[in-house]
Amino acid sequence: MKTLFLSCLVVLSLWGGTIQNDEQFKTAVASMGSADKLVLMIYTTDDCPECAYMKRKVFHEKTVERYLSQNFVVIEKNIHKSKLPDGYDYFGIPTMFFIDKAGNKKETIIGSKRAQPFLSELHHIRGIK
Amino acid sequence: MRGLMLVLLVGVSLSAYDAEHLKKALEEKECIECDLRGANLSKIDFSGSDFHGSDLSYADLRGSVFEMGDFNDANLSGAKAEGTVFWKASLERSDLRGIHAKGANFKGTHLKQSNLSKADIRNAKIWKADFTDAILKKTDLQGSEIGGSKFIRNDLRFTKMKNTLLWETHFSDVIMNQIQCQHAVKEEAILDENVTCR
Repeated sequence: MKTLFLSCLVVLSLWGGTIQNDEQFKTAVASMGSADKLVLMIYTTDDCPECAYMKRKVFHEKTVERYLSQNFVVIEKNIHKSKLPDGYDYFGIPTMFFIDKAGNKKETIIGSKRAQPFLSELHHIRGIK
Repeated sequence: MRGLMLVLLVGVSLSAYDAEHLKKALEEKECIECDLRGANLSKIDFSGSDFHGSDLSYADLRGSVFEMGDFNDANLSGAKAEGTVFWKASLERSDLRGIHAKGANFKGTHLKQSNLSKADIRNAKIWKADFTDAILKKTDLQGSEIGGSKFIRNDLRFTKMKNTLLWETHFSDVIMNQIQCQHAVKEEAILDENVTCR
């Protein structure tokens, strides 16, 4: 019985739940109000220079930062520390998921990009209905 | 006629792998000090494999994954490795002269004392690699992402580095030309006081 209970606990601790039930996602959506924005969920690790490049350099490039703040809400999940939502597996770090308010995955980008190509991608993704 | 014979002889010698070694490599994902010259090792998952000390010159590695593989002291000169994944592989003291590795993934690789002369590594992902004491003469790194990597005791004057991403790339005790130095500074690379810009 104790083993069964422990097994259940392990399974529950690994289960991230749906994106709609994810606290960070819910907070991000709430922060949008009536604005028509997308959530940009980036998966990172502490020892990932590519992740640092995106977060510290690309996201803060002037034109990218402006476009991001107007059209997206960014949330970060450290894959070693956070529970990851179901259906959001990754094949490399960083991975960026673009999700609408209802929790539908619109697009995925794996790896880093320089500011200008990244901005073009953001424009493209924003245009996806 | 003599020319044709010569071409044929060269062709045979480039792909003269040992069939038993190839069988072992494919079955066990491991072959130490093996003769795999010109062998077809394409489109296979070799994650965690051990090829140290092996001769893989002119081998076809395209589309394969060598995640955390061991290629220390191996010969990969002239190998076809476009798009190949070497993520966190160890390639110390390896011969990578003239390797065709455009678009390959070298993230987190250990390249200490390796010879990358005339290697084609354009548009590759090379984040956090260690190039300490590596030879990079006429190596083509144009368009590659080398952020967070480490260059110590290298002569980079003849390395092609146009449009390379060098964010937080660490340069120590290296020689670069003026254009490379300007590019590195613009890219926010970290150059210590022992860097020579000529």
